Amino acid sequence: MSEPKLSTADILAKIRAAKPSASSDAPAAPAPPAPVVESSAPEPSAVEAAPAPPKPKAAPAAKPGSTSDILAAIRAQGAKGGAAEAPAESAAPKAAAAPKAAPAAKPGSTSDILAAIRAGKGSAAAPTVTAEAPAAKAAVKPVAAATSGVAKPSVEDMLKAVRGGGAIAAVAIATPAVPVKPVLPPMPMRPSAAKDKKSTGTDRRSFVAACLSPLAIGFGSMAATSLLWLLDLARFMFPNVLVEPPTKFKIGPASDYPLGNVSTKWLAARGVWIVHTDQYKGRNLIYAIASVCTHLGCTPNWLEGEQKYKCPCHGSGFYINGINFEGPAPRPLERVGIKLASDGQLEVDKSVKFQEEMGQWEDTNSFVDGALA
Amino acid sequence: MNSLSLITSCLTLGSTDPHPNVTPSVLYGLGWLYLILFAMNAVWTWKSYHRGRHFRLPEFLGGMDMPNAAAWSMYSIALLLVSVTHLTCASVPEALRWFVMPDFAKAAIDFVVADARRYFAVTTFGFIGMLLLRNWLAKPNVGWVLLNLALLFLCVSLTDWDFRQIVGKPDNVPIVAMLFIVGFFTWLFFYRANENDRRAAQGQGPVEAENNEKVLTWPDLVYTEMICMIAVTALLILWGIALQAPLEEPASAVKTPNPSKAPWYFLGLQEMLVYFDPWLAGVVFPSVIIGGMMAIPYIDFNKLGNGYYTFNQRKFAITAFMFGFLPLWIGMITLGTFLRGPNWNIFGIYEYWDVHKLEALNNVSLSEYFWYGIGQPLPMAPAGANFWTQAPYILLREFVGFVAIGIYLGVLPMVMAMTVFKKFFLRMGFLRYMVFSNLVLMMAALPITMVLRWAANLKYFIKIPEWFFNV
Repeated sequence: MSEPKLSTADILAKIRAAKPSASSDAPAAPAPPAPVVESSAPEPSAVEAAPAPPKPKAAPAAKPGSTSDILAAIRAQGAKGGAAEAPAESAAPKAAAAPKAAPAAKPGSTSDILAAIRAGKGSAAAPTVTAEAPAAKAAVKPVAAATSGVAKPSVEDMLKAVRGGGAIAAVAIATPAVPVKPVLPPMPMRPSAAKDKKSTGTDRRSFVAACLSPLAIGFGSMAATSLLWLLDLARFMFPNVLVEPPTKFKIGPASDYPLGNVSTKWLAARGVWIVHTDQYKGRNLIYAIASVCTHLGCTPNWLEGEQKYKCPCHGSGFYINGINFEGPAPRPLERVGIKLASDGQLEVDKSVKFQEEMGQWEDTNSFVDGALA
Repeated sequence: MNSLSLITSCLTLGSTDPHPNVTPSVLYGLGWLYLILFAMNAVWTWKSYHRGRHFRLPEFLGGMDMPNAAAWSMYSIALLLVSVTHLTCASVPEALRWFVMPDFAKAAIDFVVADARRYFAVTTFGFIGMLLLRNWLAKPNVGWVLLNLALLFLCVSLTDWDFRQIVGKPDNVPIVAMLFIVGFFTWLFFYRANENDRRAAQGQGPVEAENNEKVLTWPDLVYTEMICMIAVTALLILWGIALQAPLEEPASAVKTPNPSKAPWYFLGLQEMLVYFDPWLAGVVFPSVIIGGMMAIPYIDFNKLGNGYYTFNQRKFAITAFMFGFLPLWIGMITLGTFLRGPNWNIFGIYEYWDVHKLEALNNVSLSEYFWYGIGQPLPMAPAGANFWTQAPYILLREFVGFVAIGIYLGVLPMVMAMTVFKKFFLRMGFLRYMVFSNLVLMMAALPITMVLRWAANLKYFIKIPEWFFNV
């Protein structure tokens, strides 16, 4: 490597450039990213080494790392297996020794390679004595050998065997009777939380313990606070001082309200019109209309010139008697209670309402006789 | 200043009109507006020059080839002259009488917009025309001409006192801006969609598929966002300084401002409230709008148009959405903002807001049409009857409305499934199709109800105020 430091793009470009040659040599490399993993090694010189076509002899026999290394080791092992039969270290005799393995000298696909491994093992064990082939497998997987001698080794077994190293395989081949156990990494320690619970005599999952858990305390205090808020809200509904005007109030004698007149005198303070009209069913009546539009609650305006109440929000219009006739209001304006008090004045009671569509305008509490005026 | 001196000063200015259409300050301001318009067009001329397109003069002008930039430059110079005239002759309104909206044009425009039926017809047919002419409208030159026309319309209209009151109200300034923004983005959509549709017709992929180079969140996106943030903050500060928030008298429970308008973005809903029962227009329809939009991904079976602009590949979806958005939502906001005046009457944009304007708005319900139509009185329960005696009478009275609604939402989808929506029905299956068709019908219910209200004074299909149930 002449360049001291490479960028990622450079590395990728090199890998791409190297890929065709690699695939020409080992087209069955099952994991193309493997060279990338290698290239990320801190030593820049490793960059070129990894994607380089893996040659059987170049592969480290002791402990291969990447998939391509493993494949290289497989090939090397196949060669060694052949070596046990014939000293010539070429691939061709190996292929000849194991006719089932591969039609060509070089393994083409993954299945070819795997077949070569199987054949290689067989031949490595003892090409002349085929009965010893299971023994070779037993070196890889003793249990499998014990239960079923003819069972084919799985890919994992093969890879394990390969990782174990060609040397081990060779030893196993040399002494097939001694099974070699693969060296496994030690199991990680189980965290204390995952350990089996053993009864210690005291039950820690008691009700008191559950109540004292941080989660329970947190939610409990939240619930308590919410309850307090709710109680406060309930108290808020009953104020000590109500700054609303009383719902019952005197509006003066009936003579203040002549026929055909809508008085806006009490509109600003109390929100009622005092209406004296004979426009409702021809009867001469005085009544009080709440100044709340039955559409969405705006305050309509009494338009003297047009003789109608007109709402500024959506244009609802009502006749002088309160009946809706235009715009979106679905029902007439509401009357509130009115009566003749004992002192001769009219008294309005806003705590009761009378709706025309419910037939409540017939109620005698909703009007007083217009003849009083 | 006493009234006499006020009158004298008015006389010296040559006007006693308390609502003068043109004043020196207005003309002076318009001079600056024309100057901005000139600057915009000067830039456009420059770009046109570099683009180097030509057009052919008509035969009576010689029939020779002219660069587009020549026409734009002449227009720009005319704008510059108009601007200079306004800035220098602002104190002599008579000199500028050619640049005010003529009265017959005002009357014609008011005639159209001050009537809800005509306004709705104009917006709806304008929408259809926009869809039909989309290839032509989406050309950059056409779009630029339309923008210029809109701005020129604004300029000459601002010489009207009533128009200034509506458009210049601080509340309404963002809505004027919104109209231009909506126009621009609609144009942009058609511009991009036409390009992709043209490419699709030639068997090419959309533009977006070619320019799909990925950019990094940092710095590309974050910088853009930060610059936008700063720009918007600066704009809001300037806006807050330039346009004062309108303060009114202290609120009173028994005094409602006239007219009383919702925030501008709710004016569409407020307009809807005029035509429907408050329960429907205030609760049901907004929920249906939101729920329906959430249902769109489950209803939509068209996999095209994902990640790129197109019109031809999603004709129905885009048309339906745009109809709901442009004539119904934006159109109603415009109606509510600029045309609704005192007592929620409709006023023209050059019309004085007269509190005592009379509009005949009588309401008749469908049951009244039916029973009076066959010469019968409305079925009425005897006075003082209890609920169970009343109920059959009420239901009999309103049965026409129930039948009408049932046909509209229950039978009409079936009919449509067999006719216009046959393909949709086959693709969607029964349940999805029913959801889809009901959503479409509910959207269509708004214009249908509005038209019936205007044309036949029809208020409710079902009117049961006794149970607070009106449809």
